Amino acid sequence: MVIDMHVHPEFWEAVYQDDAFNEKRKEIMGRDKLGNADYRFVIKQMDYAGIDKFCLLATDTSTKDNCVVLTNEDLKKIVDLAPDRFIGFASVDPFRKDAAAVVEKAFTELGLMGLNLHPAKQKFYPDDEIMDPIYKLCIKYNKPIMFHAGTSWEPNTPAKYAQPLAFEGVAIKYPELRFCLSHMGWPWVADTAMMVLKYPNVYADTSMLYSDRPIDFFHQVFKVDLSPLWLENAFPEKIMFGSNSPRFGSGDMKEGIETLKLRPRTEAKVLGGNAVKFLGLED
Amino acid sequence: MMKLETKTYETHAEFDLILITEDAREFVKKSGVKDGLFVLITQHTTTSIMVQESLPCLEGDIEEKLEEIVPKNVQYAHNHFLPTYGATGGNCPGHLKSMLCGNHCVFPIQNGELVMGHAQDIYFAEFDGMQVRSVFFEALGE
Repeated sequence: MVIDMHVHPEFWEAVYQDDAFNEKRKEIMGRDKLGNADYRFVIKQMDYAGIDKFCLLATDTSTKDNCVVLTNEDLKKIVDLAPDRFIGFASVDPFRKDAAAVVEKAFTELGLMGLNLHPAKQKFYPDDEIMDPIYKLCIKYNKPIMFHAGTSWEPNTPAKYAQPLAFEGVAIKYPELRFCLSHMGWPWVADTAMMVLKYPNVYADTSMLYSDRPIDFFHQVFKVDLSPLWLENAFPEKIMFGSNSPRFGSGDMKEGIETLKLRPRTEAKVLGGNAVKFLGLED
Repeated sequence: MMKLETKTYETHAEFDLILITEDAREFVKKSGVKDGLFVLITQHTTTSIMVQESLPCLEGDIEEKLEEIVPKNVQYAHNHFLPTYGATGGNCPGHLKSMLCGNHCVFPIQNGELVMGHAQDIYFAEFDGMQVRSVFFEALGE
């Protein structure tokens, strides 16, 4: 089972509204020159790349941008197009007055599998008490959180909110809350290594390509910046494959993982096994 | 007179050759142009329009030799973050193969028909698939 844990579907045809809103989405997400993808073609691309499932992320920055880039309801619409291939993570702007209700609805009525939060874009510190009701709902419904961590390509995203150590208080206060530091928290990958090593509830994903090819970038992070043995021996069960598609091609990013030449059992965990555990889908 | 259409093609692999000769012949017939020129132009920078003999051995040779000339697994200056896309460039081989193979082809139209050499076929060539691609079909004349 290969699962890409980090895919943004804002520009899929199924949720296209009009050109003006499309441009607004591009502006908020820092994207350009991008067509709208048909989900059926996306599935063909997944098949070609040998990827079984995409974890799709909603984005809600409504108190800053006066619109929801991708609502939980629209995300659910996409998931329902191919529920055997798509997993949906809701989003909520923590500063919404109805934030708790939005999260509760996402987990109950909409049946979404987790929550996507972007501290740098949404401008909150992960250990701010405003987050407590949201974290408690995630624990109540056994839903994990995908946190953006480290550098973001998106505009107006100060990294101070998303450095890996900013999440340590959450890991300590809520040991039963599973969360992922996406993008390996780059460039603070050693801090991310400490977090996944020390805290059983903390994971990280590989959705990082800040320069070079995936093969070069993953080599630099996992074989040079970190000891070449750490992913194999220290935290083989904590790193999940993620691409940040469509910013980076999911198939190319998977190939980057494969070129690390990990032990087969480690590669299988990174490409999907760890995601199954993170999602709470283990038997 | 002038007739312009855009046709789209789904490509099925990173490298893909799609025969589009029949689409070209049909377009010319329906264009209403009796005598003039037919032009095919790809709308992308990692694809090409190729005129070649349609043989599987040649298709294999084209793929292998292009890969030798522009290998995928070497360093390119293009592999860095591109603010205009919001993405990191990873498809330089596609750009260079496109440059080598060209972005268009031109044929005469006579008596409302496309005129081609007996060994010639038209391919849409993908070097950065799989994607949905667009091609201009244009007939010019009277």
